[in-house]
Amino acid sequence: MSGTDGTPARTGGVTGTGGGATGAGTSDGASGAVAAGASGAAGAAGASGAAGAAGASGAAGAAGASGAAGAAGASGAAGAAGASGAAGAAGASGARSTPSLTPVFVRLKLALLRNGLRQSSGRTAAYAVSAVFAVLVAAGQLLGLVLLRGNDHAGTVVVLLTAVLALGWAVMPLFFPGGDETLDPTRLVMLPLRPRPLVRALLVASLVGLGPLFSLCLAVGSAIAVGHGAAATAVAVLAVPLVLLICVALARAVATANVRLLTSRKGRDLAVLSGLVVAVGIQVVNFGAQRLGDAGGLSALDPAAGILRWVPPASAIGAVDSASEGAYAVAVAQLLLSAGALAALLHVWRRSLVKLMTAPDGSTLAAAEPSRKESASAAGRLGRLLPGGRTGTVMLRSLRYVWRDPKTKAAWVTSLAIGLIVPLFNALQGRGTIYFACFAAGMLGIQMYNQFGQDTSAFWMVALTISSTRDAYLELRARALALLVITLPYSAVVTVATAALLGDWHALPEALGLSFALLGAMLATGAVASARFPYSIPQDSGYKNVAPGQAGLAWISIFGGMLGAALICAPVIAVTIWLHVAGADGWTWLLFPVGTVYGALTAALGLRLAAPRTAARLPEILTAVSKG
Amino acid sequence: MADQPREQAPDETPGQRAAGADGTGRVTGAAGTSPPAAHVPAVPAAPAVPAVRVEGLWKRFGGQIAVAGIDLELPAGRFIGLVGPNGAGKTTTLSMITGLLRPDQGRVLVAGHDVWRDPAEVAEVKTRIGVLPEGLRLFERLSGRELLGYTGRLRGLPGAEVDKRATQLLDVLDLAGAQHKLVVDYSTGMRKKIGLAAALLHNPEVLFLDEPFEGVDPVSAQTIRGVLERYTDSGATVVFSSHVMELVESLCDWVAVMAAGRIRAQGTLAEVRGGAPSLQSAFLELVGAQGRDTGESLDWLGGSR
Repeated sequence: MSGTDGTPARTGGVTGTGGGATGAGTSDGASGAVAAGASGAAGAAGASGAAGAAGASGAAGAAGASGAAGAAGASGAAGAAGASGAAGAAGASGARSTPSLTPVFVRLKLALLRNGLRQSSGRTAAYAVSAVFAVLVAAGQLLGLVLLRGNDHAGTVVVLLTAVLALGWAVMPLFFPGGDETLDPTRLVMLPLRPRPLVRALLVASLVGLGPLFSLCLAVGSAIAVGHGAAATAVAVLAVPLVLLICVALARAVATANVRLLTSRKGRDLAVLSGLVVAVGIQVVNFGAQRLGDAGGLSALDPAAGILRWVPPASAIGAVDSASEGAYAVAVAQLLLSAGALAALLHVWRRSLVKLMTAPDGSTLAAAEPSRKESASAAGRLGRLLPGGRTGTVMLRSLRYVWRDPKTKAAWVTSLAIGLIVPLFNALQGRGTIYFACFAAGMLGIQMYNQFGQDTSAFWMVALTISSTRDAYLELRARALALLVITLPYSAVVTVATAALLGDWHALPEALGLSFALLGAMLATGAVASARFPYSIPQDSGYKNVAPGQAGLAWISIFGGMLGAALICAPVIAVTIWLHVAGADGWTWLLFPVGTVYGALTAALGLRLAAPRTAARLPEILTAVSKG
Repeated sequence: MADQPREQAPDETPGQRAAGADGTGRVTGAAGTSPPAAHVPAVPAAPAVPAVRVEGLWKRFGGQIAVAGIDLELPAGRFIGLVGPNGAGKTTTLSMITGLLRPDQGRVLVAGHDVWRDPAEVAEVKTRIGVLPEGLRLFERLSGRELLGYTGRLRGLPGAEVDKRATQLLDVLDLAGAQHKLVVDYSTGMRKKIGLAAALLHNPEVLFLDEPFEGVDPVSAQTIRGVLERYTDSGATVVFSSHVMELVESLCDWVAVMAAGRIRAQGTLAEVRGGAPSLQSAFLELVGAQGRDTGESLDWLGGSR
């Protein structure tokens, strides 16, 4: 993941960002407001960023995703983990113990970081920028926590933050396995190493990097925020390293226990889905933060913190808080709980390490694995429901890919989630309008863009069977139909649900009409853009959605297409506005049939226009989509 | 095909660049097809239409010439090997013959139909050929059986017939046990075999295979061989590329040798081999790599330790 070009994500969600490490520059594909990634801990990276209610008129702005540029990204403590590291940054607790193995591993880690930097100047710049950014965020966080000192809710906040931090460390290796090569102990199998020194060396080496530095800042800040008095200071001196070690050991233990999964195809699929986790996570965190603001502040979280202060490693920070309040017995208990957790983690880690390094590796086992049973009769029944010939065949393949191909699945789930979250959450807060329901149609319509890029170079199989404009038309129409099978009921349900939440049943027909008109326009422009501006989608990364050098093409495809879709919808929007302005509210139901028919017609026209271009450009399309 | 510019890199020699400068004509636009070279005579009504006829075919990637104006005539009903070192332009040539890569200039006829001229002709070509490319993916998130079902139906075959043929192909190619596994989990040999099955499904007249034996274990290779031999015995044509001379020598009755974007020799195996003891040495002679010795530079290797 070295791309720093802020490329538009087909998903409308995640875009690539720099540095192999830090989080994603995200684009809030929805409201056109860039959710500026900000601090926040978990892999999902907390986001601030106002959910701007821009583009209200519901139609034009519909899906104006705005890609965040380069190094924006949230440096989530987790995301950042061990990857880029300003050299020596956290020599922190360094190599105190001096069995010869530990310094070797620390040097190895530093060398890996340095070599990662050396690969290209662009990458170096990305690393530098993201490193500076991460350090700034960490410093800001430290400052913020220090300022929190004395606040009534300081205890709640720091306990929750620590818990989220630990959660981030726990899931990080599952979603960002490429982040740290030393996380993969199978690379060490051939070396004559004893488990105990190995665990110690790996643990110390894991403390080097931006992620641990970030976590250290957070832990120190938390301790300062709640620590009052000498006893609390003494507890804090123990608690901070404990938190850090637990986080690092947690990541290591999870990675080691799942290394078989992570080095298999399924694990790589999981990693591709990480983009989705970030995209959806940001929406949820964003919404949660707003709700919290509405619900009258942090006191709403006190019960959760009450439980978490007994869960390691948050219990270590809880111990500082307890010591400040004079509850020394509680503090000792909480501290012991964390220490016990660290010991348990190290034990589990060592055991799975031993097992891993003495057992046959994943590839051997995978080869012996029994083959899949024939896919459930559901697929067979679906196949029978679909029409025959090219149409049904292509639809079935497209629908299977929505479920089975991680990249396609991530794009779909992101679209489905954002298409649901934006209208419904806004409606829940009583701020929305029913026109937001058009997001569902708009977000899903994006899936029609770059259809052939989604095939990757396997497009040759399609190209060889298209020998006329008619074939190309059938192919495109079948793909649009497969999309409609999901999109049509989905956007209808979202619109009805939004209407129900708002109690605005009167506007339901016109909202449905607008949705379908927009959907038709998106299908039309998507088909034309697929034929005219195809580009490759790299399959191995959850973040890069455009092959290097094709970013411009992707921008033209998606944003040109969306602009086109908005223009095509303009008549329907104009009629809507006119009816309202003219006070003819009794007639707005007409927009439902009008919008639906208009959408169907534009879609049909778009497919007709795209078909001859597709048929004439098959070799060019194949070349364009084979770069991933 | 994604890799070509890189693959071609070692080819480029100053001599070639000079040849390219005066040798090639213009690059045709994206939408149009290449005009045939002006001097090309009408194809004589030969008793047997050649399986493939290539005239003055050129392809450049940026400044690099991948295919430098080749002429080829591959007879029908033969087992034909296209041999050459890595980067000779074999993949580029096969891509242009099968309609997957637009040539800069030149003409390709498959079974008498022009691959790059008008759509009706292209349709004729596409129903007659089967292709197994190298370096391009399959729809890997389908199981082996689903992939065959998909390909066959796209080819316009009736569903029942597709399923019948797929079952037989899976059996013969020893894939029946893995037919419900996703292709993404297949080994290299299994992928080549499922690709071959997909290429054979519609019973093409001419089969193009790019490096079908690359990375394939001996058992799978033998299976593939058996199927191909049976297929050519029925009068169909197989054109495959390889850089393994022993394999070509044992399989093919007709050979075209390619190096640095040009055809160095073509004809029956005996013609190309000429007086040389083996195709290998004839080939090395043709591409001018004969007798390159390591000399003194590695004299320590295997010496006293």
